[in-house]
Amino acid sequence: MLRFLKGFGLFSAAVLGAAASPANAAGDLLVAPTRVVLDGSRGTEVVLNNIGSAPATYRISLEIKRMTALGGLDEIEEADANAAEKAALAMISFNPRRVTLPPNQPQVIRVGVRVPEGTPAGEYRAHMLFRAVPDAAPATDPAKPVTSGVSIALTPIYGITIPVIVRVGELGASAQIGEARVEETVDGPAFAFDLTRSGNRSVYGDIEVTRPGLAEPLLLARGIAVYPEVGQRKVSLRVPAELAAQLKGPVKIRYSEDREVGGGTIDEADRVVK
Amino acid sequence: MRTIGMKRALLGAAIAALAMNASAAHAASATGTAKAKILRQITLTNTSDLQYATVISGATASTVAVSTSGAATCGAGLTCTGTTSAANFNIAGTSGAVVLVGGDSSVTLNGSLGGTMSSTLTYSASNVTLTATGGSFQVGGTLSVGANQTAGDYSGTFNVTANYQ
Repeated sequence: MLRFLKGFGLFSAAVLGAAASPANAAGDLLVAPTRVVLDGSRGTEVVLNNIGSAPATYRISLEIKRMTALGGLDEIEEADANAAEKAALAMISFNPRRVTLPPNQPQVIRVGVRVPEGTPAGEYRAHMLFRAVPDAAPATDPAKPVTSGVSIALTPIYGITIPVIVRVGELGASAQIGEARVEETVDGPAFAFDLTRSGNRSVYGDIEVTRPGLAEPLLLARGIAVYPEVGQRKVSLRVPAELAAQLKGPVKIRYSEDREVGGGTIDEADRVVK
Repeated sequence: MRTIGMKRALLGAAIAALAMNASAAHAASATGTAKAKILRQITLTNTSDLQYATVISGATASTVAVSTSGAATCGAGLTCTGTTSAANFNIAGTSGAVVLVGGDSSVTLNGSLGGTMSSTLTYSASNVTLTATGGSFQVGGTLSVGANQTAGDYSGTFNVTANYQ
C-alpha cells in the first residue's frame, strides 16, 4: 500500500512535468526535489524523470561548486577540491549512476550518507548533476553531397544540478541584508543588494520586497542561498524596466527561511532603493 | 490574484502532505497511514539548437556571430546561408525560484573531412527567476572560421546546466 501511494506521488510529479513543458527533445529531464539537506544519519531519494519524447540515457554524478561573491557557482575540478569538499564527496553515496529511461519513466535515485567518526562539525556539500548522455553525433552524413561550405552541428549536453548538503554537529548561522539598489547590467535592469552571512552553515530562504502601504509584494525570489565558503554575496535579480522604476524608494526587504522549515525571518530591513 | 490564492492553498496542502509523510515514515509498520509526497521539482527542456547554418569560407579568417536572440552577423569574406538560431532552454519549477545558469564558454568543433573550428558561447542570463509559467535562457556564440576552412560537417558538444542553489 505504502509503495503504491509513493508510486502515485512520483506519477503526479511526472504528469506535472509533462504538462508544464510542451517541448520534448531527447534528454529533457525533471528532477525532484530541488535541494537535499541530510543530518548524517539517514539518506533520501531523488526522482529523475525522462520528460522527452524518446528514450534517453542519463548519467548522475557529484560535482563540487563554490559560491562566488557575485552569487554565482564556480565549478571546481575534483583535483582542486579542498579537504571539506573531498569529505563531502566521500560521505555521499548514490545509486544508480547511469540509467536509460523511456519517455515519462521516473527513476528513484537513492542517496545515502555515511559520516566517518571524528568528522569535524560543519556543513559538507556537493552538487548532484543529472544529465543526458547524447547519442554520438554522426560525423558524416553519406546522403548529403559534399559542398564547398561547412555545415555546423552543435549538440548541447544539458542537465540540472541540485545541492546535497550534509550537516554534522550543532550548527547555526545568521544573515544581514545590506544596502539595496537598482542597477543596470548587460542583461537589463536588476534589483541588487548584499547578503552578509555569519556562522558555520549556509543560510537559505526566500526574499520578499514589499512597499509600505501596498498589499502585494513588489518582488519575490525563492531559493536564495549564502554558502559557508562566502561571508557575503551579492544578490542581483533581473527585473523588467517598469518594475525597476517602481522599486525605487522605500521598501521592506525580508529574507525568510524556506517554507518547508517554517518560514521564520532570517533578517528584515527597511531600505531606500536608489 | 485568484491564481495566487489557489497556489498558496495547493502549497499548504503540499507542506501538510510532506509533514505527514515525515511522521508516517517512523510508523510505517504500525498502521496503514496513507501518504503522498509532493516534491518540488525542476524541469529543463531544450527547444532549439544553436545553429550557424551553412558557411562558405573565404580567403581570410573571419567570424560568424549568432546572438542570444538568434540573429546572425556574417563576417567579412564569408557567405552564410540557411536559418540561424540560438539554443533555447525552458526551465519550469516553483514560481519565484531563482535558478543559476552555468555552462561552457567555448566549444571545439571537429570536421568530418578533417579540420577544427572553435566557437565562443554567450548566455542570455546568469540567473533566471521563474514565473508561474517558468522561464528560459538562450545560448548564442561566435564561430571562428579559418581562411579556406576545410569543407565538411562540423560537430561539437557543449555543457549547459541549470543549477539550484
